[in-house]
Amino acid sequence: MTDGYVQQPGSSTDVRVDGKRVAGKMSFNPPGSGGSRPEMAERDLDFIPEVEGGKEAQPAGHHQHDKYRTGTTVGKRTPLVDGNAKVTGQAWYGDDVRLANEIIGRIVRSPHHYAKVKSIDTSKAEALPGVLAVSTGEDAPQRFGVLPVTKDEHAMAVEKVRHVGDLVACVAAIDEATAREAAALIEVEYEVLDAVHDPKKGLLDVDDPIHWRGKYHIGSTNVQKRVFQEFGDRSKLEQARATHHGKWKFMGVNHGFTEPHAVVAHWDPNGRLQLYTPQQVPHYAHRALATVLDVPMHQVNVIRTFVGGGFGGKSDPFPHEMCAAILARKAGRPVRITFDREEVFWVNRGRHPSHIEVQMFADDDARISGFEIDALIDGGGFASFGHVTSYYNGVLATAPYELGSFHYTGARVWTNKPASGAMRGHGAVNTRCAIEVGMDDLAEKLQVDPIDLRLANLLPPHSKTITGFRITSNGMRQALERVREGSDWDSKFRQLPLGKGIGIGCGFFISGSGLPIHWDPNKFPHATVHIQIDMDGGVTVHTGAADIGQGSTTAIAQVVAEVLALPLEMIHVRSHESDTSPVDLGSYSSRVTFMNANAAITAALEIREQLLNAASEILEMPAEYLVLNDRRIYSKRDPAIGMSYLQALHKSQEDKGALIASGAYRTPPMGGVHKGAAAGLAPAYSFSAYVAEVEVDVDTGLIKCTDVWAAHDCGKALNPLAVEGQIIGSCHMGLGQVLSEQMVYGRTGHLQNPNLLDYKIPSVHEMPNVTPIIIESCDPEGPFGAKEAGEGPLLPILPAVVNAVYDAIGIRINDLPLTPDKVWAAIAKKMKREDLADSQDLPVPRIDFSELQAKIAKRSAEHNNRDGRRQRSEDTDPYINGVLFGFDPSIPPEEQDGDWKISVRPDSDQLESLGLAGSAWTKIEQRKMEDGK
Amino acid sequence: MLMPPFELHLPNTVEEACAIAADLLSSGDEFDWIAGGTDLIPNYKWHINTKPHVISLTKIAGIDTISMTEIGCMARLSNISESDSVHPLVAEAASKVASSLIRRNATLGGNLCLDTRCFWFNQTEEWRSSIDWCHKCDCGTGSDCRVIPNQNTLCVATYQGDIAPNLMVLNATVHLIGPKGERSVLLHDFYQLDGMTRNILEPGEFMLKITLPEDIADWTGSYRKLRVRESWDFPEAGAAAAWKKGDRGTLRVATTALESIPRRHDEEVASANGDVKAICDAIYKSTKPVNNTSLPPRYRRNMIKVLVKRACEE
Amino acid sequence: MVGEEHVSMIPIAPNNVWRAKVNGRAQEILAPSNAILLDVLRDKVGCLGVKRGCDMGTCGCCAVLIDGEPRLSCLTMANECAGSDIISVEGLSNGAHLAPIQQCFAECGGSQCGFCTPGFLISSQALLDKNQNPTDSEIATAIEGNLCRCTGYQQIIQSIQAAAAIHRGDESPANPASDAHSDPHPSGPD
Repeated sequence: MTDGYVQQPGSSTDVRVDGKRVAGKMSFNPPGSGGSRPEMAERDLDFIPEVEGGKEAQPAGHHQHDKYRTGTTVGKRTPLVDGNAKVTGQAWYGDDVRLANEIIGRIVRSPHHYAKVKSIDTSKAEALPGVLAVSTGEDAPQRFGVLPVTKDEHAMAVEKVRHVGDLVACVAAIDEATAREAAALIEVEYEVLDAVHDPKKGLLDVDDPIHWRGKYHIGSTNVQKRVFQEFGDRSKLEQARATHHGKWKFMGVNHGFTEPHAVVAHWDPNGRLQLYTPQQVPHYAHRALATVLDVPMHQVNVIRTFVGGGFGGKSDPFPHEMCAAILARKAGRPVRITFDREEVFWVNRGRHPSHIEVQMFADDDARISGFEIDALIDGGGFASFGHVTSYYNGVLATAPYELGSFHYTGARVWTNKPASGAMRGHGAVNTRCAIEVGMDDLAEKLQVDPIDLRLANLLPPHSKTITGFRITSNGMRQALERVREGSDWDSKFRQLPLGKGIGIGCGFFISGSGLPIHWDPNKFPHATVHIQIDMDGGVTVHTGAADIGQGSTTAIAQVVAEVLALPLEMIHVRSHESDTSPVDLGSYSSRVTFMNANAAITAALEIREQLLNAASEILEMPAEYLVLNDRRIYSKRDPAIGMSYLQALHKSQEDKGALIASGAYRTPPMGGVHKGAAAGLAPAYSFSAYVAEVEVDVDTGLIKCTDVWAAHDCGKALNPLAVEGQIIGSCHMGLGQVLSEQMVYGRTGHLQNPNLLDYKIPSVHEMPNVTPIIIESCDPEGPFGAKEAGEGPLLPILPAVVNAVYDAIGIRINDLPLTPDKVWAAIAKKMKREDLADSQDLPVPRIDFSELQAKIAKRSAEHNNRDGRRQRSEDTDPYINGVLFGFDPSIPPEEQDGDWKISVRPDSDQLESLGLAGSAWTKIEQRKMEDGK
Repeated sequence: MLMPPFELHLPNTVEEACAIAADLLSSGDEFDWIAGGTDLIPNYKWHINTKPHVISLTKIAGIDTISMTEIGCMARLSNISESDSVHPLVAEAASKVASSLIRRNATLGGNLCLDTRCFWFNQTEEWRSSIDWCHKCDCGTGSDCRVIPNQNTLCVATYQGDIAPNLMVLNATVHLIGPKGERSVLLHDFYQLDGMTRNILEPGEFMLKITLPEDIADWTGSYRKLRVRESWDFPEAGAAAAWKKGDRGTLRVATTALESIPRRHDEEVASANGDVKAICDAIYKSTKPVNNTSLPPRYRRNMIKVLVKRACEE
Repeated sequence: MVGEEHVSMIPIAPNNVWRAKVNGRAQEILAPSNAILLDVLRDKVGCLGVKRGCDMGTCGCCAVLIDGEPRLSCLTMANECAGSDIISVEGLSNGAHLAPIQQCFAECGGSQCGFCTPGFLISSQALLDKNQNPTDSEIATAIEGNLCRCTGYQQIIQSIQAAAAIHRGDESPANPASDAHSDPHPSGPD
C-alpha cells in the first residue's frame, strides 16, 4: 500500500521545492476523483434498505438489488442531470441544430382528403432562383411504418394522398421564403376520390379502400385490424344482480408537445447520413431511413436532439425525416425542416377517436362476472401503432379486477384524417375510462361504496389475469386506501351539495412492452447499456434511451451512481447518437426505467465487481468484506482500511486500459399462446387510483376540477421528484382530454382547430391542486424495485372526473371531452324530463348501502391480509384469475368449467350478436373468398 | 412561420401617420395599421388579407394615456388592467383578455378594432386553399361563406373582443383620426354589421382614443365572459352591464362574441322595465350566433341569458 | 399550387439595420422591414434558447424581456423594438452562476422536457423583479400565457416560490431537492 495515491508509481516525492508541479507527475488531489464534495460523504442510512442494515423501511418486502444500494441517489429527490442545459437555453432541440451551409426544406401537402395523384409538375419550382432540390414520391418508392407488420407509409405520396396535409412533394431552397414560394409553385393534378370520415363507415365495403392489403384485406372495407377475444365463462352473465351498459364517444386528442417536429439531415463528406431529429424512438427511425433511402443502416447516424415533449407523438419514423434526407442528398447541403404548428396536427399520431361500448356485470356476491367491450377506433390515414392499439383497447382492461369472463371485439379503421397512433397511456385510456365509470355505476346499483367494490375484487400480487398476463408487484390496494384516506372520501362521497362532487378512478398500465417488435425476444435484448471508465474516473454510460423530458438520462445516471457509489456528476450519459449508443427501443410503452435501468445495473455490477476485485487484491481482503461509499472502497468493519475509488480503478485498469462493461435486459418468458397473447404483455404493471373533486356550474355546464389525490404504484421511486412530476403532468394531460381537448373535424371533414388557441390544452388556471402519493410495491424484477410512472398515472383522472361530475349533478355523460355545452345540454335535458324549472332543484345522488356493503368490506379485509402476504412473498402459492370464483389455481380453468372459453375468433353463430366493431368479423378476408378479387 | 413581405412604417407623430396614410392612399397602395400586433401578426403569418404596407403606431408618443375618462389607442391592456386610475369595469375587462403575456403587447385600439373571427377563416393559407377559400378572404375567387353556404354577400365572422361591450355600457365615445381630420362617435355606433366591414373606419383613419363621460366614476357594473380556459381564450359569449350607483333605472347591457359586432341592448333593456329575466329573454331572442367559434351556437345563445343575469347582479 | 390567391413570399431585400442590445451586447443586424423579433433573435442573433412553439402567441415559449417587460417575441415586430434592451434566457444568469430562478427550476422539477422553460423563466423573472413575495395566484397570472405540457404547472409554481424565497433572502428555499448540484461553476466568482 502507498501513502496516498499518485498518478505514476514512485513519483510521489517528485515535487519541486518551489511547490510547483513537475510536468506529468502531479499527485492527484485526494480524493480528487470528481464531484463537488471535497470529503467523503457519510453513508446515508436513510436510503439503505433495512435488510442491508439501513433505515429504509421495506413494507413491501426485499429486493434482489437491495445489496447494491449504497445510499447514493436512489430514492432521493434528484434534479434532472440535464436540467442546467434546459434552464440556460443551451439544450438543443430539433430546430436548434444549425449546420454550416444549411438550406431550408418545405413540404408540399395535399389539399384533398382523398385523391389520386395524377401528375406533379415541379418545373416552375425548380426554375425559381434559390431552389436547390425538389423531390416527389418517385424518389422514395419504399414503404415504411413503425410496426414491421403494417408498413403502409411513403416519404411522399406515391399513388394517393390520404388526408388533407398528407405529403406530396418537398423542396429545399436557400432560405425559408424561397422554400415556401417554391412549394406553392409545385403543380399537382389530382383525381378526387370519395373520402371516408366517419369510422363507422370505415366498416363498410367501398370501391377504393384507403389502403389495399392484397389477400389479407378484409372484404373491401377500410378495416385495418380486427380483434376478437373471449375468455372465461359467459353463461353466468344472465344471473347478474347488477349490470352496466355504457356507450361512449371519445374525440381524438393530440399530444400537444410544445416543440414542433424539426429535422436536420446532412450527408457528411464520407457519404454517411447524419440525421438530427427529436425522436423518442431513434432506432425505428434509423431502420426506416435505411429502408427508404436504400442505404445500409451503418451508413446512417441518427442523432437524437433534446426532445421538446413526446408523449408518443415523436415515436414513429416520420416521412418528413425521409424528405430532409432525400433533399439533402440531392442538394449536397444540410437541410433543415421545421414544422408549423398546423403541420404537427397533420402528422398527428394522437389518441384514436373512438366509439366504445361496455357492458359489465356483477353477481350476487358483488363479484365482476364479466366485461364485454366493443371498441371501434378511428385510425386516420395510416396504420402507425394501430395494430397494437387495437388490442390494447381491450386487453388492458383485464386487470386490476378479477373477472368471471372477458369478451372483447375491436376494430381499427382507416379514414381520411391525419393518422392516429400512440399517445401517453396508449390504447388503455379510453376503455379504462368506460370501465371505471361502469364500476361506479355497478357500485351504485349494488348499493355499495365504489372504493369498497374495487377493494373486494382486486387481483392479488403475483397472479395471472384472465388472458394470461403475469402480474408481479401490485400496489392497487394501497393506492385505493391512500386516496380514500387523503381525500376524506368517506365523509364526502354522495354527501356533497349540488354542484360539488367527488369521484374515484383506477388505472392499470404496462411497464414496458414484453415483445420487441423487430426481433425474437428470446434471442436479442430489449435494451443494452455500455459503461466505460477511463483513467479520469468519470463514468461514461452509453445508452440509446431517449430522454424526452421524463428524466430517463437521470434515472440511468442514478442507478449507475448508486451501484458504484459515485456522485451523480461523475456519471456522463451519452445517449444522443446511434453511432455510439447500443440499440435501444426508445421511449415508448413506459419501458425505459424498467428495461434500461436494469441493463445499466447489470453493466454497473460488472464494473463494480472489477473494482472490488482490484481493491480486494490491494487490501488483501475478500471482496465481500468491502463496502463502496462515495468514491471510497473500504472494509465493512474498519472504514480506515480502504482506498479511493480511483486507486481501485487504476489497479483494475492495469494492462487493459479503460474498464468497459455491457449490460443487457431481456424480458423473461411469459404469457399465453393464443393469437395476440403478446399484446399487453409486460414484465411488470403499474397501478394507480385517483380521487378527484369537481365543481360544476349547473347554469353554464362549466366544470372546474379543484383537487386530485393521485396515488400511483411505481414499484420504487428512484427519483420521487420526477415521479411526482410525472403524476402531476399526467393529471394535466388527462384533464385536458376529459374537459377540453379535442381534434374537431367539421362538416367537411377538415380539422378545424390545428392550433394551440383552438385546441384547448388546460392553462395554469385549470389545474387542480394535485396531491401526488407514491406507492412502492417493490417489483421483484424492476431496477431496485421500480416500474413505470410516465403513462399509467394518466388513466385514472378521466373516470375520476366523470364520476365526480355524476356525484355533483347526478348525470353521467359518455361523450368526452365534457365541454360545457355538452354538460349544459345534458342538464337541460334532465330538467325537461323531470319537469324542473330551476337548475338548483336538480336531484343529487345519495347512497343507501345494501347488505352487500358489509359483505364486501369483510372480503376486502380478508384480501388485504392475503395480498400483504403475497406481496412480501410469505405466500408463494400460484394465483390465477378465477380463484375468487372458486377455481383451483393449479388446474387451468378450462379444465374445471366446461363453459370456460378461450377463443380469438368468433364462432359463426356469434357473428350476429357482435357489436359495432365486432361487425368487422362479418367480412371475409380476400384470401378466403372463393372467387378472389 | 414567416411574414409575407411588406413595408413597415414607423411614424413618430399622429400627423406623420396621417401623412403616410394619405400618401399611400393617393398612390393607391393598400395598407393596414398595427398597434400591439397580437391580432394582425397572426393573421399576416397565415397570409390573411395581407397588405404591402403596414403603419405602426408604436413610436407615436402620447397616445397611450390611461385615465378615468380617457384611454389612448396605444394603452397596453396589461397597463389598463393593472391601473388604479381607470374605471374598474374597464380594468376587469382588460384583465380577462387572452393571457398576461398577450396583454403586454395588446392595446385598447387593437382590441376595439379586432378583426372578426371564424374557424373557416383563421387558418393558414394551405388550410384555406383546401376548403377553396371563404367569403371573408376569398383572394379574388368570389368564394362562398363557409358558415352559411350558398351566400357570399354577408360575412358572419364573429367579433370576439372583450372590452367593447364594457365601454359601450359606460357610454364611451371613440375619437377617430385620418387624413380628412378628426371625428367622434359613440362606441355603440362605431361598429357596422358585417364581418368584413366591421366598423365605420374610413380608409386611412385610425382610432386615436376613447373618452368616457365625466360622471363615469359614479357608475358600476360587471363583465361576464364565457370561455373554456381562463387564459388565451377569446370570449365565446360575453355580457357587460353597468348602472349608476344606486340607480338601477340607468341599467345598460351590451354583449359580445355573439355576432359580427358587439351590441348594446338598449331596446331590450327598455322593454323589460327593470326585470332582469325579461332583459335576458329579450336579448336571447334578438341574438343569433352562428357556428364559427369553439362552442356550438345554440349553447352560446342560451348562455347569454346566464351571462346577462350574472352581469346585472348587484 | 400557385394562383391569384397565393401570397407571394419572395421578400424585398433586407434594407434596415436593426440595432438593439441583446443580453448586454450591442447588435447591428440587417433585417427586412417586416422582420419579427423571434426570427431575428433565433436566426440572426443566434439566441437559440428563444423557442418557437406556436408562432401565434399561444404558447409563450418565445418570451423575452424587452426593457424589463416580458413580451412574446413571435408577436413583436423587430423594428418596433429597435433600440431596446432585450434579455433572453441566455442572459438571465450573469457570470458564472445560475440565476435563482434557473437554479430553482432545475432543482424543483420546474423543467421536464425543457422546451417551454425559457419562456417560463422570462415570465417568472419579470414577476420576481417586481414582486418578491408573490402569492400562488399572482404566479398563476404571471405564467398564464406560458403553456407547459409536461409538468402540470405545479412544480413550476413551487420553483418560482423557491426562487422568490432566495430573492427575499430567506434561509432555505421552500422545497429544496436533497441532492442539488445545479451550480455548474461551484468555484466561480460570487
